[in-house]
Amino acid sequence: MSHPPRVWPITLAAIALVLALWVGATEGGLVRDLFLPPPGELWSAFVDLLLNGYKGWSLLAHIGFSLERVGVGFAAGAVVGTLLGLGMGYLPVLDGLAAPFIEFLRPLPQLAYLVLLIVWFGIGETSKIVLLFLAALPVAAVAARDGVRNVSPLRIDVARTLGASRWQIFRHVVFPSALSEIFTGARLAVGIVYATLIAAEIIAGSNGIGWLILDAGRFLRSDYVFVGILLIGLMGIGLDRLLRLAERRVVHWAGK
Amino acid sequence: MTPRIPRRTLLAAGTAAALLPLARARAAAPLKINVGYFVETKPTMIAKGLGWFAQDAKATINWLEMGSGAEINTGIAAGSIDIGMAIGSSPVAAGISQGLPYQLIGMVDNIGPAEEMTVRKAAHIRTPKDFIGKKVATPFGSTSHFRLMGFLALNHLSQSQVTVLDMSPAQIVAAWQRGDIDAAYVWAPAKSKILADGGAVFRTYDVLDKAGYVIADLFVASTGFASKNPGAVTGFLHAYGRALEMYRTQPDAAAKVVAKQAGVSVDVAKTDLAQYDFVPLKTQLLPQWLGQPGKPGQFDAVLVRTAQFLAQQKSIRSAAAIDAFRKATNTTFLANAAS
Amino acid sequence: MRLVLGVISVLSALLLWQGIAAYGVVPRDLLPAPVDVWVAFVAILRHGYRGTSLQQNIFATLGRCLGGFAIALLAGVPLGLWMGMNRRIAAAADWAVQFLRPLPPLSYLILLILWLGMDNTSKVALLALTAFPIIASASMAGVRGVAVQRIDAARCLGASRAQIFRHVVFPAALPMIFTGLRIALAAAFSTVVAAELMAANDGLGWMIFSAEKFLRNDIIVLGIIILGLLGMALNGMLVGIDRAVVHWRGQE
Repeated sequence: MSHPPRVWPITLAAIALVLALWVGATEGGLVRDLFLPPPGELWSAFVDLLLNGYKGWSLLAHIGFSLERVGVGFAAGAVVGTLLGLGMGYLPVLDGLAAPFIEFLRPLPQLAYLVLLIVWFGIGETSKIVLLFLAALPVAAVAARDGVRNVSPLRIDVARTLGASRWQIFRHVVFPSALSEIFTGARLAVGIVYATLIAAEIIAGSNGIGWLILDAGRFLRSDYVFVGILLIGLMGIGLDRLLRLAERRVVHWAGK
Repeated sequence: MTPRIPRRTLLAAGTAAALLPLARARAAAPLKINVGYFVETKPTMIAKGLGWFAQDAKATINWLEMGSGAEINTGIAAGSIDIGMAIGSSPVAAGISQGLPYQLIGMVDNIGPAEEMTVRKAAHIRTPKDFIGKKVATPFGSTSHFRLMGFLALNHLSQSQVTVLDMSPAQIVAAWQRGDIDAAYVWAPAKSKILADGGAVFRTYDVLDKAGYVIADLFVASTGFASKNPGAVTGFLHAYGRALEMYRTQPDAAAKVVAKQAGVSVDVAKTDLAQYDFVPLKTQLLPQWLGQPGKPGQFDAVLVRTAQFLAQQKSIRSAAAIDAFRKATNTTFLANAAS
Repeated sequence: MRLVLGVISVLSALLLWQGIAAYGVVPRDLLPAPVDVWVAFVAILRHGYRGTSLQQNIFATLGRCLGGFAIALLAGVPLGLWMGMNRRIAAAADWAVQFLRPLPPLSYLILLILWLGMDNTSKVALLALTAFPIIASASMAGVRGVAVQRIDAARCLGASRAQIFRHVVFPAALPMIFTGLRIALAAAFSTVVAAELMAANDGLGWMIFSAEKFLRNDIIVLGIIILGLLGMALNGMLVGIDRAVVHWRGQE
């Protein structure tokens, strides 16, 4: 394989094919608009939401609520988790004590303990933020811990021989080396946090884009539901891209 | 020489004889009805608990527990539900407006005071204007939500003045205990729980009913299922008639069954049951309710009003005209069950 | 040593929990004590929960999760490998995979229910769609990550395309594929509780949501603990298979 072929025309063609099938099925009356609204209807629904908002808040406000929750929950969970993970990587005692809880929390379905959090904190912001915090924490912790563990011992020895202090070793050898794993963990965490947030808004909310599709879905307003899903999808892609951008910048700055 | 029966004929006859019971069994295979229902303190639980629905409909019933009337709409649209039991008039108005393939076949009850506004005593809410700045919770999309929106409209209160929160009944109870909300528009058992916990009734139902915000719980059946199995649908309604009769003549025994099915105490069951207006089957056929077969009654006007309100709220795209509701009302089964 | 620390940690947490609940620091109806949860566990083992046995609920949840995961694996690995080997196929399909991937599963559950009905079909489909893009992406990345020199070397030695795939590409991609499988199984397991939110009559998620309606916090906590243990077991199982099969992980 010397020159990769120009492939974006294929992507466009594939998307166009799907769109054509979609239009054909809906305009041709094969599928009721309840199950699959025609693209035209989706566009008017989108414009409607943009101009008139949904049930008291503008579309941007709903999106803003959701992003704000993601931001706060992710930041808190990722920071605390990374710090904990770094500590676990450095101190075997901490690792031994904390590991059972991290390993239990990580695969635990978030919606299951959301119910408990709601019982304790109500359906307001607190329960959601705590949920997102707990969703991000174990992923960030494990990534940071593995990042520390995977640092080449050779590098540490070299630094030590050169007379570096523990802190200097951490700042100039361990941390930059672990950074890429920390960012991989962060990207995984943001995906989990985002999915959890939408689920939380669906189960216990009065605003936000997740709640919007739940409410629209109640009386089967498929047009709003579809627009909401597309927006949620685009937001998810956007969040991931944002993190990748941050990764490129930060890892470059930290030097490798 | 005695004629010998050819082997082939014997084989064919033998196979037929062996398969005959199978064929008979297949033809007599019991009908299966998918019923969406709620765990509630209503006579529906009597007929369910005592097996009367299955008995009178001559079918096995696949009971699907629902979280809301909207879920019943989704289930019928998806083809997973044949009969919806105690679905609220709000979701029904929405469903018929959207052309969902079902018919209104009967009433479970006329709700009246059973769904009502409960306010926290400590919030000092005496008049409608006192709601300004307060937090009121209700399950969105329900008949209670419809009533609450009607209350706000009648009193010229906007949602920027009164914070309306979307909560399930269980969430309302929890939020009430935590002091997160000042009022709630909801039904039993949540209503009784918050009432007992520092709550007071804020009467709205009679004013709202007079203004046309009548709410009811209804029976619906998917059109396809009903046309193929009219006997089963009739039997189903007949079983409910029996349950109403038992509640009328033996209220204590009835309350016991309801209590067991709903997982509440007998006293709670009795209190909750007393708040509903369970319209007898024969009365449902009168013009003020569903009307005789072919002569749809005034309840359709209620549904139109409900649909128009929902359209105004943008919950549905548009309200159907009264003709659509008339067409969707089919009391043939009710008439047969009541006779 | 690690095991000892872990045991100490868990035991102290349990004691602390029992203390907080028993001495009313937090109201007992809000936070059931470990003892209460145990009592609920025994009761459900004996009498079931609202007509369903504990085994039934566990198997229902596991069945949905593993069923969806299996479908995603059978569809995702071949497609991912193909996308990795063939840039045209990747161009035609990857955009859909990358759109589906970050899409929160609960957001499109109602569509699946509308299209596929309220029984297990829509739930298994949800889980399959959750796991599929993760597995396909990982498989594609695994193939793409194979060092070009290795493929060239094999080609120089006269290997056919099929042989190159079987002996060079596939083994080199396997670690990445398995990482994807682990993430996908975790995602599917997380999502199965969401799938049991609507129109379910059994399963551990259903049990928890139902217990909330009846204000049985002890059953909620019980459900959470069982789910946590199951999740750990599933993950551990996959890690074990990973180590056994991909024993060349990490080697250059």
